[in-house]
Amino acid sequence: MRLLLVEDDVMVASGIKLGLADAGYAVDWVGSGERAQEVLARESFDIGVIDIGLPGIDGLELTRLLRRPEMANPAMPVLILTARDALQDRVQGLDLGADDYMVKPFELPELLARLRALLRRSQAATTAVLSFGPLELDSANRRASIVGAEGAVATAIELGPREWTVLEYLLIHAPKPASKDKLLQALTGWDKEITPNAVEVYVSRLRSKLEPHGIALRSIRGFGYRLELVEATAR
Amino acid sequence: MARPSLRALTSDLRNRLLLLLVLPLFALVLASAWVDFRSADDAAVQHDQRLLRLLPGLADSVVAATTPGTEPLLMLAPAVEEFLRRSGEYTAFSVRRVNGELLLGDDWVQGPLPATTAAEFHSVEYGGVTYRVAVQRGETNAGELVVALADGSDPRQQWLQQLMMRLLLPNLLLIAAAGLAIYWSVGHAFKPLVDLATAVEHRSPRDLNPIDEATSPAEVRPLVHALNHLFDMVRAQVDGQRRFVADAAHQLRTPLAGLQAQVEAWALLARSGGRARNFDKNSALPLIHQDSLAITLGVEEIEKLRAATRRTSQLAHQLLTLSRADARNVDASAMERADLRQLCETALELHLDAAEAKGIDLGLEAESVHATGHGWLLRELLSNLVDNAIKYTPAGGSVTIRCGRCMRRGTLEPYLEVEDDGPGVPHTEYNKVLQRFYRVPGTAGEGTGLGLPIADEIARAHGAALELGSGAGQRGLRVRLVFTTDTFSGARPPGE
Repeated sequence: MRLLLVEDDVMVASGIKLGLADAGYAVDWVGSGERAQEVLARESFDIGVIDIGLPGIDGLELTRLLRRPEMANPAMPVLILTARDALQDRVQGLDLGADDYMVKPFELPELLARLRALLRRSQAATTAVLSFGPLELDSANRRASIVGAEGAVATAIELGPREWTVLEYLLIHAPKPASKDKLLQALTGWDKEITPNAVEVYVSRLRSKLEPHGIALRSIRGFGYRLELVEATAR
Repeated sequence: MARPSLRALTSDLRNRLLLLLVLPLFALVLASAWVDFRSADDAAVQHDQRLLRLLPGLADSVVAATTPGTEPLLMLAPAVEEFLRRSGEYTAFSVRRVNGELLLGDDWVQGPLPATTAAEFHSVEYGGVTYRVAVQRGETNAGELVVALADGSDPRQQWLQQLMMRLLLPNLLLIAAAGLAIYWSVGHAFKPLVDLATAVEHRSPRDLNPIDEATSPAEVRPLVHALNHLFDMVRAQVDGQRRFVADAAHQLRTPLAGLQAQVEAWALLARSGGRARNFDKNSALPLIHQDSLAITLGVEEIEKLRAATRRTSQLAHQLLTLSRADARNVDASAMERADLRQLCETALELHLDAAEAKGIDLGLEAESVHATGHGWLLRELLSNLVDNAIKYTPAGGSVTIRCGRCMRRGTLEPYLEVEDDGPGVPHTEYNKVLQRFYRVPGTAGEGTGLGLPIADEIARAHGAALELGSGAGQRGLRVRLVFTTDTFSGARPPGE
């Protein structure tokens, strides 16, 4: 994964770079908006982490610029970093084409989780394949499979159409939880007469199919479900 | 405090006014009594003079009896007769021999027998009346006799009798009336001041808004003006401090972000065992490589460092929130229609990982309700409450985020609530835990002591108070914010 980090604070940048490199990203770091603009015009990145408070061209302006068609990857998902946390800044950031934001100071594991979610979404838009840990969902062919260690053969998982809908919804939103109401709405496309109990039925069926592969569907009391990797078998 | 001392002030003022007024009045009464007595004395002297002048007339009125041995006759001189007649029963006379034998008149009109012929005066009590008696011994037609005249209309006696009725009573009444008038008028005159004191006393310590000068009584307007000026200065000072805290917290965040990013990265590397470099997971991680001054930190040390850094960052963020949430500075007109259920769901998502890491069951009981408020403040409120609940609830416990409607003053009002089943807070500490940086003695956990105060400040910004109570089964802590519709009269109607 090629990641562009635009951040003028050396401490923050080196910390992020260290953490992201450890998580397997190839990090390119630039310290100013102008430099970032040059790089973005030439090279394509999978994802960008951009600080708002840059000298010269600031993060918001840069986000607007990089959406121009002449840029190498106008569809690049962007996560904005900001020391400002007033609501209007957040809204402004998202209006201008940023996909997510985080307020400084932040916890690295959360940054990693958000980057994963952003990448999953952008991949789904381009390749129609959603992945979560060893689980892969190929939307184009409606095929779910568990991808093992490198070189191992993928194990196919048989899913009914409603199970597919529930899993797809959970996967798109992971690691955020999905509410029962939303799952129910997703299911009503299939069946007008569906009851809330039906969601539980499909979730329990999915559980029996996924848990052996280290993927759990955790119930969130009063809310819904969340897709999680079971630590012991993860990685 | 202010009220008793003000009462003391008014009663003190009353006493002083009474003293100042009653003392001169009393002196005046004494003076007039003295003058009165003087004039009565003068009149008495004149009375005595008259009696003295009449005595010879009485002596002359005694006519010797034509036949010796019988009583002398009395031929009253016109002046004496007039005196006796005019003053009626309060006059009397007697004529007796020098041996004391009564010849004419009333027996009681007498004094000690005079030794000389000079007139003598005595006071004689008779029939409840004090008489002035003039006695004189002298030669008359009937030989040497003692004549006496008694006059009951003595001004001095009358003065004494009338002293009570004529002088003391009206003056005492006057003094009493003056006292009452002072009591009433001081109370009345001080009423605006007392009212003002009550109004200032009943103010919240956070309320530094000016008192309306236009509706204040004219008497206290200068005082109100001065108070408002003071409020202005205090508010400017408070605002300055708040801005300073906000600026300081804001400025802290940039270096903290750098520090945290570094420490977080080390912690990640340490946990992953420095995948790239193939370190053993539990071995120390070299931060400064190979060369001479190598310092090594273990995984746990780095994680402690990370925990401390995260806590410092949280503190900076909370300080900033607290100064921004200041109830006096939050613009009530900027309130919006907030989806409470949405807020609860967001809070749940935000804290799910922390709860899971601690083995706490974080759940939701949310009805679909809306309230008028500041979305970002309510997010902070829930975030702080849930964060607190997770920190203070032991592993295996549960934390529930709730929203719905409850009865308040006869109407169903929306509320936000966070309940846990942790150790809870004793009743007696409810007020204290809302104070900044206060922590219940003997509690574990890594709280900053700002979570509840922030929630309280945000509640105030919404015109409500934070309600603390214990959770289900009298365990844990339940913190609730009830929105009251009437507090939002200044808010824009939804959808505008």
